[in-house]
Amino acid sequence: MIANVLEMRGVSKSFDHRLVLDQLDFTIKRGKIIGLLGRNGAGKSTMLDCALGLARIGGGEISLLGENPAALSEATRGRVGYVPQQTELFPWMTASQMLAYFKAFYEKWNDAKVAALLDRWAIPREIKIQKMSAGEKQRLAIIRALAHEPDFLILDEPASSLDPAGRRDFLREVIDVVIDRDVTILFSTHILSDLERVAMDVSILSAGKILLTAELDSLAGETFVATGSEQALTSLAKYGVEPFRREPGQLVARIPKAIQASVQTEDHELVLDSLSLEDFFIEVTK
Amino acid sequence: MAFPRDPKVLFVVSPSMGIPIYQQLVDQIKRMVASGQLAGGAPLPSVREVAVTLAINPMTVSKAYSLLETQGVLSRRRGMGMVVSQDATGTQAIRDRLALLRPTLERAAEEAAQLHIDHGAAIALFEKVLKGKR
Repeated sequence: MIANVLEMRGVSKSFDHRLVLDQLDFTIKRGKIIGLLGRNGAGKSTMLDCALGLARIGGGEISLLGENPAALSEATRGRVGYVPQQTELFPWMTASQMLAYFKAFYEKWNDAKVAALLDRWAIPREIKIQKMSAGEKQRLAIIRALAHEPDFLILDEPASSLDPAGRRDFLREVIDVVIDRDVTILFSTHILSDLERVAMDVSILSAGKILLTAELDSLAGETFVATGSEQALTSLAKYGVEPFRREPGQLVARIPKAIQASVQTEDHELVLDSLSLEDFFIEVTK
Repeated sequence: MAFPRDPKVLFVVSPSMGIPIYQQLVDQIKRMVASGQLAGGAPLPSVREVAVTLAINPMTVSKAYSLLETQGVLSRRRGMGMVVSQDATGTQAIRDRLALLRPTLERAAEEAAQLHIDHGAAIALFEKVLKGKR
């Protein structure tokens, strides 16, 4: 059994001489649910495409379930489920036709689950996909990705076209999958509340690199903006605090609970203001 | 597949509050036990039920339940899952209830200091408020 479902080491990728991924390192361990957070255009989709072998990389190494994603075996392909952000799947087919077509590619296919989800999410079976709403298309893509019971699910903004009730229902389905089977999930999102509900860990992608990977629960209460004299701010370094952003008189950093008290008692010129995950995300990706 | 809409699943979580979801569950269950809404011996909904109903990670629910177990609020009963501990009510309950009140009072004390209200006057006011409420 492989411990790391996905490993990306020093991965770079450019489009038209524009560096989108810059020697990116990323690892996801088996059984984890990681939310990948990044602004629009940060390169989330590119990163996921590279991980899946759908985009060629300019440098570095990727191991997907122990294999090179650019040359994935059929068996390993069958263990991966993917919901792309743009679901341009076979617009001329009906849902029934499209699902029958995909079923042929996989060894495993859970017909009962497919039927149940089609019913529950009220997806019309015999209407051409091009006639469906964005939400219906996205739900259909999710059903297709879950049907072969993958071990590793990669979801690229999976719920962006769904309304809040639809998103909640989708998250319930994800939870149901997690409870039933030992599945690893990597999903990109910019909807923080979805991430907080479902993910145990968060990774922030910014400027082509993974800025931070942390357990969500431990990050709460440790994200701060520190204001004070240059000397006071610089003195934070001796506690091992590395700022994500530094401006005159101010910095944004993760300050572990264990050192918060000593940082504050020692230096009265330093004011720490706690940041919510959302504010922290906005600050570090500026 | 139908998802449980069990009225016993009373918990509410609000993400983006800056309080981890497991902590929200812990606080909520403690309040419910302290107020007697959940009596000693009362069964709690299963991890699965809570996770699916609230659309939250099952590990988060397990974490909350385990923490409450180590704190003696819940106990694991064979075949029944988690139940409210018998000794979580009674004498321990007053201590628990006071602990739950403390953060509110700490905030009030801070504001009293900012307003330069002396201790005697603040306590007299609290007594008045208490009597007015009952």
